[in-house]
Parts: sequence; structure tokens; C-alpha cells
Amino acid sequence: MSEKLRESLSALMDDEANELEVERLLREVAATDDLRQTWVRYHVARDALKGQNLEHREIDLSQRVRDAIAQEKPSLSSAVQRLMRPVASFAVAASVAATVVLGGQQLSQLGNTGPEQADNVIAGMAPVGMVNTLGATPVRASYGSQAVPALRPASHTAYRELARLRLKQFGQAHAEQAALNTPQGLIPFARVPTIKQ
Amino acid sequence: MNMPFVALLAGLLLAPAVYAQTDVCRDTDPQAIEWLKKMSQSAHASAYHGVVTFQRGDDLEVMQVSHVADDTGVTESFTRLTGQGAQVLRQQHAPECVHPGQQLLEMGNDLAAGECGIANYYRFELGQGQRIADRESVRLNVMPRDVYRYGYILYLDRETGLLLQATTMDRGNTKLERFAYADITYGPVPKPRENVAVVHEAEHPSQDVQSLPEVDFDWTVAWLPPGFTATQPVSSSDGQRSFTDGLAVFSVFLEPLDVAIAPGEGVVRWGSTTSYTRGMRAGEFPVLITVIGEVPVNTARMVTDAIRRAN
Repeated sequence: MSEKLRESLSALMDDEANELEVERLLREVAATDDLRQTWVRYHVARDALKGQNLEHREIDLSQRVRDAIAQEKPSLSSAVQRLMRPVASFAVAASVAATVVLGGQQLSQLGNTGPEQADNVIAGMAPVGMVNTLGATPVRASYGSQAVPALRPASHTAYRELARLRLKQFGQAHAEQAALNTPQGLIPFARVPTIKQ
Repeated sequence: MNMPFVALLAGLLLAPAVYAQTDVCRDTDPQAIEWLKKMSQSAHASAYHGVVTFQRGDDLEVMQVSHVADDTGVTESFTRLTGQGAQVLRQQHAPECVHPGQQLLEMGNDLAAGECGIANYYRFELGQGQRIADRESVRLNVMPRDVYRYGYILYLDRETGLLLQATTMDRGNTKLERFAYADITYGPVPKPRENVAVVHEAEHPSQDVQSLPEVDFDWTVAWLPPGFTATQPVSSSDGQRSFTDGLAVFSVFLEPLDVAIAPGEGVVRWGSTTSYTRGMRAGEFPVLITVIGEVPVNTARMVTDAIRRAN
């Protein structure tokens, strides 16, 4: 897949793509296996089962989502909880599992990739595709006249919290490098939330 | 197929690439590149101290910086005057020690030789300066040629070339952050302030072993945005990699996880700094990747997408 497409895809997820790009991308996503795979990879709301090899993963999620509800939810929660132990409450972990399932159901429509399904894929894509995974404001989209609930990627809140914690933890190690490789002397240390000894 | 024909064919195929290269060089103002070089050199050579403001959104921080270069090397200090009481010191940074970021900026002569260097990735344009910290300045507009980096508006001291003010802009020309000297004095530098709560000795080459993850397998970043290069050699199992294009730096951190977590991504942005975290697998190993840097989210995501376990 071309770098240009990956770039546009990423821009789309950040709500930075313009309308023409969006239309073109949705057509391309429907038509190109490779691009669809990347879309799914970027769109992290999908992997309801742990222990899958991402490289060879099928996109058929519906069964796996059911399995996730039936079996995986406790271990999923505990795995996340374990990582998040210092910061996250059980409520956060529970919401992670819930959003995984919601995202998975929507993305499962990507699995129907037969040629006769192409139109449906595009129609089904739109609500997922329009969602800005990083910001709070999804672009309005609908199935016909029916409004579609706004989707969030898996563990949106939990991962955001992780990103914040990591900035705190690694910000200084990054600033050390920035101070040596940008023309601003030690000023990059101003970006470190709390300077440590 | 005879040789002259092959040569002709090769010539035809190569021609557009060569043309594009010289085109970029021609499009670049050599004077702007000279100022860029002067800026980089002055940042390492002069002796100065001053007060700098740093603004991100509604947040304003003030700090005091000093810089002195002598035979033993460069000694610098950075002291926060607002918020946390903290100081960063770097003592006797050897004069012959030139880091990749600095090399990328000091390419004045290469331009004449047809090497566009950093001008491949940014368009530079000189403009009307203004008075900053009681100094006359030159304005240098720095516009990215692709989506992988931010743009800058730089004001350089007209006399010394020192960077007096820098504003970082995103693609929509939104100002992400700005630092500016409020006051600057060239010449002998007073002693760094004392009685500061936290004093950090900046390391060189930096290796903050305490907080960095330990990785027991080799990994690589299979794709980098064009123009970015490693800031220092690392072993293939180090938990941190940093990359620079001369103006921006981003760092990739890999943390091995005991148990796979639900794949996902999260981002926080503060000023021009992006912190992007993703749970994923590198080969069979579950890992948590974090990219921290003064680059757009897209760049962080695409770099994360290219992380592989090395065989």
C-alpha cells in the first residue's frame, strides 16, 4: 500500500482529512484488502480476543465478540487492571471491556467483503470511519435516517491515561535528546512536566 | 540490448529524480540556509544568559538560562522561575562533540554542491524581523514540505544569529507553543542560582537508565519519516530510540508486557509535544509502545505501526 494512502488514513482518523480525501479513502478501503487491514490495525477498537497474532488476524469479529462477552471479559479486565493498577479504578477497566465490544460489533461489518457486499461495506464503513478516535467529536453519520451511536476505540480513556503517565515518566529522557539535537540548548526541558534528579 | 541504449534508458529514468532534487535546491534561499547555520553555531559558541518565557495555550512558564563556551567545552544551566523549583545543568560539554541535529542544520556549503539536506523537508524563507528582548532580529519562516513535522517561525538575533524566539505551528497554522527571550545579556555569565529544590545533571550521551524499560529481545523501527536520523547509536534491545531532523526530535519507548492487554491507542498533546501510546505485539511479545516528541500524531502513529521484532 502506498505511503500516501497510509498517511491519508491516519489523517482521516485524526479528523484532518478533507471531504474529497474521505470519499476517496472510503472507496479505497472498500476495494483494497491491504488498506482495510491497515484501517483495522489503526482502528484499535477491534481486538476483543487477546493472544491473536495481529499479522494474520481475520476480520470476522462477530463470533469473537460473542466469545469475548461470554468468556474473555474477566481476563481482559484483569489484564488491563493489572497494567493500570496504580491509576485505574475498576470502573475504568470495565469501560474498556465495554468499548471493545461496541467497537468490535461495528467493525465486524468490515468482514463481509464479498463483491456483492461492496455497497454495504461502504455504507457500514461510514459511521466507523468518521469517528475521530483521538478527539471527542465524531463527524455526524447515519445508516439511512437512523442515527448511529458515536463509537470510541477500545479503552479510549484507559489508553489516554497511559499516554499521560508515559509522558510524565519518559518526558525527561526525551528532553535529554531534544536538548542535544535542537538549536534551543536546554530549553526543551521546559516541556518536562516535573524535572527529576 | 546494447550499452548506449541502456545508458540512455537509465538517463531517462534518473532524469526526473535529479531534476526534482535541484529543483528543491533552487527553490531554497541560500541566505536562509546561512542564517540557519549561524543560528546553530551561535547556540553552541556564544556566552549569554537571560530570561525565557515558554507559552503553551494559557500556560506561561518563565525560566532563566545561561550558556558559556570556553576551552573545556560548553557549560549550560536552566532554572525554572515559575512552578516547580528545578534546575538542569550540563557541564563542560566537549566542543568537538557535534550531535546529529546540529550537523543537519549546518549544511550551508552543501547547498551549493547540490545537496539539499534539511531543505528537502522544510521550505525556508527570510522575513522582516522585530525587536525581541531589546535585540534586532531576522525572521526565518520554516514550513514543512510534508505532514510528518511541524512548521516554525524563528526570530534570530541579527548580530549573533542566536535563536531569540520560536513559535511552533501545526498544519492549520495554529500556534502550538512559543518560547521567547524576555531579556538577554551577552558576555560573562553569573553563577547558576543556588538553593533550588531539584538539580538535574543533564547526561551525555544521555542514558537515563533508571526510568527506562529493559527489553530482552531485539527490535527495530522499520520506517522513519524522511529526513529523520537516530540521535545516537543504541543497542538493538535498548528500550529507547530517539530521532531528529535537525529541528524536531521524537523518542520511541518500548516496554515489554507480561500479559497482552486489549490493543488500543491513546494520545495526549501539550503544546507541540505529542505522547502517543499503543498496546500491540512485536512478533510474539506483547508490548506497550510510547512515542513522545514534537511531531504530529500521524507521525507517532506511523512510526509505531513500523515497530518490529528484529530477527
